[in-house]
Amino acid sequence: MATSTYLSNPTITINAVDLTDQCNSAVLTRVIEALESTSFGKTARVYVGGLENSTLTVSLMNSFVASETYATLSALVGTATTVTLKPTSAATSATNPISTLTGCYLETLPIVNGQLGALDVIDLVFTGGVYSVATS
Amino acid sequence: MAYVIASPRLGTVGDVFEPADGINVEALLAGGFIKSTIKTTKSDKPIKDTNEE
Repeated sequence: MATSTYLSNPTITINAVDLTDQCNSAVLTRVIEALESTSFGKTARVYVGGLENSTLTVSLMNSFVASETYATLSALVGTATTVTLKPTSAATSATNPISTLTGCYLETLPIVNGQLGALDVIDLVFTGGVYSVATS
Repeated sequence: MAYVIASPRLGTVGDVFEPADGINVEALLAGGFIKSTIKTTKSDKPIKDTNEE
């Protein structure tokens, strides 16, 4: 039985801009690259931790209106920025920690993802940067 | 360089914006989210060439 649950309703900022109301999916994954250190005589592969290479994958509803999605992202592609993600919109606390990727890189920016009868939703991946978490 | 917030997506409009570590200020300026508080000065009037022949 689950001891605690929360409604998935995260808040997200990209380059300090709050895009929560344009976002419907966000996955922050910490990745520490695995470096194989298996040597002769071992019977199973073993690894040690390498560089951190965390990622944030988000889906955003596209908008070309001022102060919306495109205005936020158009000058970010090909550069590094800072993104934050918090499980809920409540105040930051030990049970609602805010995660930050500082200096993560945006490699690609879909400009238009058009389909008949559907919203223009774009998927972004922010890669790398320094991960930190704060509880206050 | 000082900036003020120009979009509610960033905070209270008119408040001073102090970029945190890693924030791409140029992108915020390009997107119109912040404005520089340094006023641009008018350039000198072009000198009229009075040496007409």
